Amino acid sequence: MMSAGTGTVAAVIVKTGSVDGSFRNACSPSHAVASVRCVAPIAMLALCAMLACASPSPAASNKVRVTKLSDVAFGTIANLNADAVLSQSVCMFADTATNGYNISATGSGAGGVFELSSGQTALAFDVAWNSATGQQSGTQLSPNVPLTGQISAATHQTCNTGPATSASLIVRLRSPALASATAGTYNGTLTLVVGPE
Amino acid sequence: MDIWFQRRALACGLLLLAAGSATAATQGSAGSTSTGSISIGASVPNRVQLSGLTDVAFTNQDPTVAATKAQNVCVWSNSSTRGYNVTASGSGASSAFTLANATLTVPYTVEWAGTSGAPSGTGLSAGAALTGLTSTATNPSCSPGPASSASLIVKIAAADLQSMQAATNYTGTLTLVVAPE
Repeated sequence: MMSAGTGTVAAVIVKTGSVDGSFRNACSPSHAVASVRCVAPIAMLALCAMLACASPSPAASNKVRVTKLSDVAFGTIANLNADAVLSQSVCMFADTATNGYNISATGSGAGGVFELSSGQTALAFDVAWNSATGQQSGTQLSPNVPLTGQISAATHQTCNTGPATSASLIVRLRSPALASATAGTYNGTLTLVVGPE
Repeated sequence: MDIWFQRRALACGLLLLAAGSATAATQGSAGSTSTGSISIGASVPNRVQLSGLTDVAFTNQDPTVAATKAQNVCVWSNSSTRGYNVTASGSGASSAFTLANATLTVPYTVEWAGTSGAPSGTGLSAGAALTGLTSTATNPSCSPGPASSASLIVKIAAADLQSMQAATNYTGTLTLVVAPE
């Protein structure tokens, strides 16, 4: 897990009476030592010391990051009667309380559909996501529709430590689409947007 | 600059040079959302497919009337024009279109039409490609889409029927090769 960039500290303000009758914050960092030394009874001192000196506990930053993405190159597809599938393991990191995240995908076709193009000719493809690494199949994504409830096993933003990858991205060209496609070279882009959960 | 940093920067530079323009993938950065993208490329080669062929059987033919058998076949081409050519070869000597029974032979003719349901077409010569054809098939096996996209016509002329020996089976094989254009 990435160390949190920000943390929360339990803040309890204990007010003690001063000789002049006013109150001041006895446990703020700048006053803690003086307050402890001057005014509080022993129990108050102990509580104050605990609160003032306790180290902040790490908390989730609700930040996510997707890395280790690679371009997908099918090359020349010799067999048009079978699906062409390429999968890759990627680093999906989620610094949330549950390590949860969601993912949306958008293709470069009209309206974000998953399509490659060769001039005016289109070739549809499927996109699947698996929250485990090294997978050849997963949950099929629809353009612009978040796949929710995903959990990341990554413990580092870019998976430099811990698991080297934490999810699988699968791109599939289905045989009916291949068989009906006009010969040519097809290209497109796929954009992935992840969010914390 | 720290010498260790300089070395790492140099190493990174060399790696980038080695990689060249290998990738256009963009990696996400940390944030409340993270966006990455990849490019996808695929090449579909020129392909054709011929299917829906059935055997041809001339039985008890009246030798005074020319015999004709036409069948609808599926030719699919994925070239940008859906174009193709077809070449036919018989099982006779030098790929001639002949049927045989031992030493007995009889010639037949082969015609091809680039449309379905045609009773006649362009005559083929053994081993010579008929070019400039276009398919309407949208799927390799014509399903879905048009159920057939071309016509194959086999004929035996009356004169040739009359040269055949009665009550004798003549057989042969016709091989068709289609190629994209």
